[in-house]
Amino acid sequence: MKRVRLDRWASQLQPPRNPRLHAQRCAFSHETTTLPRRREVLPQQRQYITQTQWQCQRRTVSSKRRASTATALQEEVDEGEPEVLPPTPARAPLYAPSHRKAVHSAKLAALHARLSLSPKLPLQTLARCLVDPSADPRPAYNNAPFAVLGQDLLGHHTTEHLICHYPRLPMSVLFAAQYAFVGEATLASIRSEWGVEVVAAPGMEVDAGLLQLKRQVPGNSLMEGTSRQVKDMPGVRKLGAKLGGGRRNSEWNYRRGISSRVVFDDEFGELVGGEPYAGAQLSTPAAGEDDGAVEARGADGTTSTLPILPRSPDETEPTTVSDASASFVRAVAGALYLHAGAAATKTFHRDHVLSRQLELHTMFNFTHPTRDLSRLCAREGFEPPVARLISETGRLSRTPVFVVGVYSGDNLLGEAAGASLNEGRVRAAAAVLRSWYLYSPPKGEVVLPSEVEGAAAAATGKGKLGKVWRPQVIDVGEIVT
Amino acid sequence: MPPARPSFVCASCATALRSQAPNTSPALRAFGATTAQLQPPAQDLPRWKQTPPAMKMPYRLRPQPNQPVWKVNEDPEPLDEMYDKFVGRAGEAAKGQTGVDSTKGRDLLPEEVKWLAITHKSFDHGRRGFNDRLALLGKRIVSLQTSLALLHAPTPRTAPSDPFLTTTHNNNNSSNSSDIFHHVALEGAENITAFSKAQVLSPTRLAQLAQSYGVDKVMRWKPKKSENLRGSGVETVLAHTVYSIIGALAMQRGGEVAARTARERVLLPLGLR
Repeated sequence: MKRVRLDRWASQLQPPRNPRLHAQRCAFSHETTTLPRRREVLPQQRQYITQTQWQCQRRTVSSKRRASTATALQEEVDEGEPEVLPPTPARAPLYAPSHRKAVHSAKLAALHARLSLSPKLPLQTLARCLVDPSADPRPAYNNAPFAVLGQDLLGHHTTEHLICHYPRLPMSVLFAAQYAFVGEATLASIRSEWGVEVVAAPGMEVDAGLLQLKRQVPGNSLMEGTSRQVKDMPGVRKLGAKLGGGRRNSEWNYRRGISSRVVFDDEFGELVGGEPYAGAQLSTPAAGEDDGAVEARGADGTTSTLPILPRSPDETEPTTVSDASASFVRAVAGALYLHAGAAATKTFHRDHVLSRQLELHTMFNFTHPTRDLSRLCAREGFEPPVARLISETGRLSRTPVFVVGVYSGDNLLGEAAGASLNEGRVRAAAAVLRSWYLYSPPKGEVVLPSEVEGAAAAATGKGKLGKVWRPQVIDVGEIVT
Repeated sequence: MPPARPSFVCASCATALRSQAPNTSPALRAFGATTAQLQPPAQDLPRWKQTPPAMKMPYRLRPQPNQPVWKVNEDPEPLDEMYDKFVGRAGEAAKGQTGVDSTKGRDLLPEEVKWLAITHKSFDHGRRGFNDRLALLGKRIVSLQTSLALLHAPTPRTAPSDPFLTTTHNNNNSSNSSDIFHHVALEGAENITAFSKAQVLSPTRLAQLAQSYGVDKVMRWKPKKSENLRGSGVETVLAHTVYSIIGALAMQRGGEVAARTARERVLLPLGLR
């Protein structure tokens, strides 16, 4: 029996097994055309480049894909790479796998296929989405730009979905629901549901399909949440402090309300930069953390100096796996928008975010529901609410049940059961308030603003899926408690 | 026979109340199943114009604060002018929608929504509604449009001697650009940073923009100290109102109008194309 000649097989141009890689060819061709003209592409290199596109099977039987800090892939890269180059000027160091390695990564290709991502999204960009800024601080190499854009996109779609489907939701519940849909904890669990693994430590030699981040050493009390943001924008915290907003609740003579969060805080109503650990010192504008950055405050409140950004992974702040996972998922959304457009992002949001079930009725917290209900009825012009006992059992026993209904005139607004008369009354009032706040217009009447956005929609007046715009329900606001 | 007045109001108080408020007498209303239909708010007054009578006390218990009385605009005309100025020509994206005759700012929104969008929570203790939710949606829209506009913006000032903090536009570093995956779709992506977004959307700048449109003359709010608006947070409220107008346009006229208004009327004056 003849010896199997793998190199003979591979020398013919075979179509790749993964049909998605076939569509990737267009993206790959950019790689060869945008190489700078000054640099000579040697014949060996050119051959290497074209061959690697098609010959993922071209491995010697002995070499295995290693995910950790082995040097096997390092050697492979070195085979066709810079030793034979004429002396070039100093290249930028690589802290994560080069984008050329993205083609070889089975994990990456499998992830791409598993998520059914648009073929317009190249594997190289997906590999870049997996590099956290703590692993490589340079914006051209990490996922920070995509993450910011993706956060905007996911947040926008989620907010409009919540507000259009539940127009009367109170602000605190809106913030909480937003976090439940696209907050960091949720995105981190999405990342693990997708089957994306995390490296122990970042480096050039790891597989391109792993999430790369510099892990935070546990036990250190650093700022939670997106600590990177405060370091990156030293002016904003002070802007907030200067204007009397964006400050922590524990500051003197300050109470953090709900309305101001819209302007100062992030989409979840949380302080940008995160709440520091308990007992953290309050930073004053005079004693800022960033030494050396002399602030020249402009007339419009912005700073004229740039933040001091880290240059290499040695200088970056370590992050948690949760934060890096959230950045990754956001980066995928952002990269999808840049490559494949708004429709693909909307589909992504629908498939991965809106497909999750959220029980909104459990997210309410009333302190005085009877008082709030009374104010609500007064505002809307209903008759004042009256609680009446509908039925009861076991009044003198250990476990009585009183079913109390709240009436406005002759109309029953809501009812609930309680173990005492008072409890029944309070629970009934809370049930009525929930039913008011959780009002949802009929599904046929809900048209999201983004569904009629875009040039095509503007031209024809009809949105995607042929939806015609109709004005949505705008509620005046919740009862101020 | 139902009592003329409820038992908890004595005769002398009832007389005093009757003389004080001849039209409405909420304190004389009896609660219970025998109540006649609650006196509806005066029919000719729209909702934005009056605070619900059932929520009002017949007389004020606390003393007036020791500061000048704060008055807000109640005239529809300055409000309409502000909307015209704010929306400008961006309303033309709403052409063809049902119920849109003219695309001026004042005609894009119904009256109640127009007033709601400029009403802050501090106004009338939130009894006439407020614009928090609209502002939340508007901020998301403006934030997204900012990111997209930053894609096309020129490179922000980077440290000139830093070879690694470069964007794809920088031609001096072609030696290391081979390690960057170039794609036409990703051009300008490095401009999107949290810092640059915060610079563009700083509340002070938004407040100045709002003042140029005349929002501060028509918005309804209640400052903590009417002599010290700055200390009472007028800039926050102005920025909040800008967002809520965008949100109102989105809910009423769709995403295209709102996005265009955000791009042309908010971001463009702030320096982003």
